[in-house]
Amino acid sequence: MRNRFAELHPAVLFLYFTAVILFSMFFMHPVFLAISLFCGFACSAALHLGKTLRFSFRFLLPMLLVMTAVNPLLNHRGATILLYVNDNPVTREALLYGFSSACMFSAVLLWFSCWNTVITSDKLVYLFGSVAPSLSLLFSMVLRFVPRFKAQIRTIENAQKGIGKGADQGSIFIRAKNGMNILSILTTWALENGITTADSMRARGYGLAGRTSFSIYAFNKRDKTALIVLIVMLFPVFYGAFTGENNIRYYPSLAVKPISFVSNLVYAAYFLLCAFPLLFNAAIEVKEHDSI
Amino acid sequence: MQQKSEQKRLKTALPAIFAALVFLAVILIGANGTGERKYFAVSLVLLVGSMLPFFIHFERRRTQARELVTLSVLCAIAVAGRAAFYMIPQFKPVAAIVIITGVCLGPQSGFLVGAVSLFVSNFFFGQGPNTPYQMFAFGLLGVLSGILYNRGLLKSSRASLCLFGGLSTLLLYGGIVNLGTLLLSGLPPTLSAYLMVCLTSLPFDLIHAASSVFFLFVLAKPMIQKMERMKTKYGLFSSEK
Amino acid sequence: MTVFEFDHFCFTYPKETEPALWDIRLTIPEGEFIALCGLSGSGKTTLLRQLKPALAPHGKSEGTLQFFGKPLAECSERSQAADIGFVMQSPEAQIVTDKVWHELSFGLESLGYDSQTIRLRTAEMASFFGIESWFERDVCTLSGGQKQLLNLASIMAMQPKALLLDEPTSQLDPIAAADFLAAVKKINAELGVTVLLTEQRLQEVFPLADRVIVLDRGRVITDASPREAGKHLLEIGHPMAAALPVPMKIHGAVANDLPCPLTVREGRNWLGAFLKESKIFYRAIPEEPESTNTDKAVELKGCWFSYEKAGPDVIKDLTLSIPKKKITCIVGGNGAGKSTALGIMAGIFKPARGKVKVNGRTALLPQDPQTLFLKNTVAEDWAETLDGRLSNAEKQKKLQETAELVQISPLLNRHPYDLSGGEQQRAALGKVLLTQPDILLLDEPTKGLDSSFKITFAKLLRELIGSGVTVVMVSHDIEFCAEYADYCALFFHGGIISSGGARAFFAGNSFYTTAANRMSRGFFQNAVRNGDVIALCNKNQNRKD
Repeated sequence: MRNRFAELHPAVLFLYFTAVILFSMFFMHPVFLAISLFCGFACSAALHLGKTLRFSFRFLLPMLLVMTAVNPLLNHRGATILLYVNDNPVTREALLYGFSSACMFSAVLLWFSCWNTVITSDKLVYLFGSVAPSLSLLFSMVLRFVPRFKAQIRTIENAQKGIGKGADQGSIFIRAKNGMNILSILTTWALENGITTADSMRARGYGLAGRTSFSIYAFNKRDKTALIVLIVMLFPVFYGAFTGENNIRYYPSLAVKPISFVSNLVYAAYFLLCAFPLLFNAAIEVKEHDSI
Repeated sequence: MQQKSEQKRLKTALPAIFAALVFLAVILIGANGTGERKYFAVSLVLLVGSMLPFFIHFERRRTQARELVTLSVLCAIAVAGRAAFYMIPQFKPVAAIVIITGVCLGPQSGFLVGAVSLFVSNFFFGQGPNTPYQMFAFGLLGVLSGILYNRGLLKSSRASLCLFGGLSTLLLYGGIVNLGTLLLSGLPPTLSAYLMVCLTSLPFDLIHAASSVFFLFVLAKPMIQKMERMKTKYGLFSSEK
Repeated sequence: MTVFEFDHFCFTYPKETEPALWDIRLTIPEGEFIALCGLSGSGKTTLLRQLKPALAPHGKSEGTLQFFGKPLAECSERSQAADIGFVMQSPEAQIVTDKVWHELSFGLESLGYDSQTIRLRTAEMASFFGIESWFERDVCTLSGGQKQLLNLASIMAMQPKALLLDEPTSQLDPIAAADFLAAVKKINAELGVTVLLTEQRLQEVFPLADRVIVLDRGRVITDASPREAGKHLLEIGHPMAAALPVPMKIHGAVANDLPCPLTVREGRNWLGAFLKESKIFYRAIPEEPESTNTDKAVELKGCWFSYEKAGPDVIKDLTLSIPKKKITCIVGGNGAGKSTALGIMAGIFKPARGKVKVNGRTALLPQDPQTLFLKNTVAEDWAETLDGRLSNAEKQKKLQETAELVQISPLLNRHPYDLSGGEQQRAALGKVLLTQPDILLLDEPTKGLDSSFKITFAKLLRELIGSGVTVVMVSHDIEFCAEYADYCALFFHGGIISSGGARAFFAGNSFYTTAANRMSRGFFQNAVRNGDVIALCNKNQNRKD
């Protein structure tokens, strides 16, 4: 299935992920944590199921347990004492805070795994292009050189093997030396060949005043709709943040704002925001199915 | 024409406004929170704020084609080098190359190669919440080696570079990234918690420091020679330093 | 309109007394296709770079150089960048960015065009070159030929008035080179862009060019139509004549008054006209008795190899034996697995199945000599391969001997990267020879060498054979293989299709064979080398008289 969300304009995607990741980092309210963790998991699973499951069970779950256990041992604040370890109190608040932090951390990591699939390098290069053209060009050039250098490392390795100086020939010291020689040969080659690259840039007018930055991304109607929907959902979340709906006090004792009509609205908006990629894909799917 | 430049100005202003809003939001949310996340918020703002001047300087400088290529070559070698040794966790030549760049091409280039190689290599290894910390730490390594070299406190001798490389990778890079982990994880920002985080990552930090020493030991001399050759043969970076 | 005009133009490099260009007087009218030839170091690249101020080398110039009637130096940087396109040798190193579309738009971005214009121009160029399907690809997924085509397209997107190309096909295989030159011809013919091209392969360029300019030590020695220029070179016996198209060379060596042929087709017509009157009496070159050398240097039996475990087999059931103390050439298309087979003989790759028997020490000269250079001077670099136990005097002696053998004695203390392409090739060969191989493996050794050094190179190989070395080379250069190899083998799809003594081998192929053979097919039976056709022509003519 095509991921329609990932095809949105990079600026929209960037705004979305910045918002969601920052919110996930800062909102420690249980409802918000739950929403972010659940949606982060769902979005990541929608992108790559197997990888997400493996990552969650092999890494996130153990980390969750460890962090929950470690926090009360390091932090002795909180009013409700559960037991003593080495004369230090273990509090319920610290235990819960550890658990929440671990959930927050997991959610952030899950969102980053979505970011890494959706915001590909060329999208970031584009995004930087309008703000920092030189930096963006530098990124693009590094991305051009990396695969080229990796291939050249293999070529050099084979060439050195051909004259009996491979990284797998001889004793361990000779091998290490041969291996470093490969890096050294690569460096000279790369620096010297770079002069040709620079010539090629200057031959094509690099350095003239008023350089523009082109991209193949166009802002279309669908991007506009998505952007408006996102902004509309951001407002209640921000409102909640400033009125304290999204906050929780852990120490000395747990305290959250009571659930109200307004808080429910904020929760709903946050859920819609976090589930946006899934909802968006589903909406497009339905729309295109109908139109056939 | 008038309208076009107006539009263009708006287009460049928009990201700035966006960045300012994000900053504001981070500060407000962080400070408004229960206090547990405010250290993280402040560290994030400080981090980005301290890196911005370097990037702005780079943008304003109108770098020569040959210098831009040289910088990207160094970044790419760092990235490809990191990828070449991916089997051994934390065994990477990035710090060594960043330090050599700082020594040869000055603090500004040192910073740039450090921050950019980390950022780009994370395209391949995956960006994470501690990317800004890593960028900052590698950038700082480059700046510091450049400044110390210019002041004469760091020599281009093998021993001096290895000593600086090992210590700075272990303490500076490790210290900053561990601080980031601590603040991000929500553990209490106390000394004992920090030490615990450092202790758990100590084996990795040690391998990292050892790899820096190793790479500097074997690569520093030939790399510096090569860069000097480029500088004299093609007149690179004569305006820097 | 005149695009470029040189008037009494001289150029001298800093710290040199001899001028690199001397008294150049040339007029280049709009729309012409001009081939600029000369041996390495004749000044053709220097001349070409004078026309692109951003790339012009430092030095002192005299005389005038005008671009559309205005001194070139006075043209704005913007006009110099946009109106004069320049394509260089290396397909790889010219590419700046990571995406095809970004590369196509790079020049337009520099010129400050808005997105709408860039979109239109890149789209136009992509369709003109038929490369739309690559548009969103990473450049690292393209082949060498595709990369060079991309370089051409990204220059053309800037809509230059003049297109300068500096040996653009020297790094490409023959098929990619032909495609590239066809694209250049299309630009010239359909867009009317003036083209100035330096080339080693005159065979491909002569039929395309309107005019040929030959440089020798910084001076113009010929400036005429291809036919006239070729004739002149043959008359004065210039070393550059060795690079002329084969039909031209054969025509020049046979006494006749018929018009000079350029292509194989014209060559056949000429040969038909030349031999018509009499019946052809001598049809074949007497077969030399094949020296039966049963000693084998390398034997491969039923070898299979793939780069990745799950990947496709690159070498399939390869059985091959290489006779000792002979030159064996392996020819074949791109990606057939020739270089891989060489790698197996060198011990770089281990076949998954099959037997490899190598009698002696091997050393491989890779395609790219730069993959061998480690140190700061050639001498240091070479010394690194020597046995550490040798005394300094012995080392020096060895270095000097090898330097003389590969003819780079005066360059021993230079940095390898300060050498020209041909000199780098020799330095790399020297390094490989210092490992004292019994079997010398060469991967595309003639790539980028000029025609006169190819002859020197062949002599060098003969000397090595004389001293007991076995030579195996992989090459696209059919003419070279036919002229100098003892044995040839055709590689296709991971295995050997046919093999044999060089003459019998090429005479048996009808497409994958030399120009002389294709030209004389039907007239003569086994004429493979230029000399064969010339000899048979003369023999028949003498009989007639």
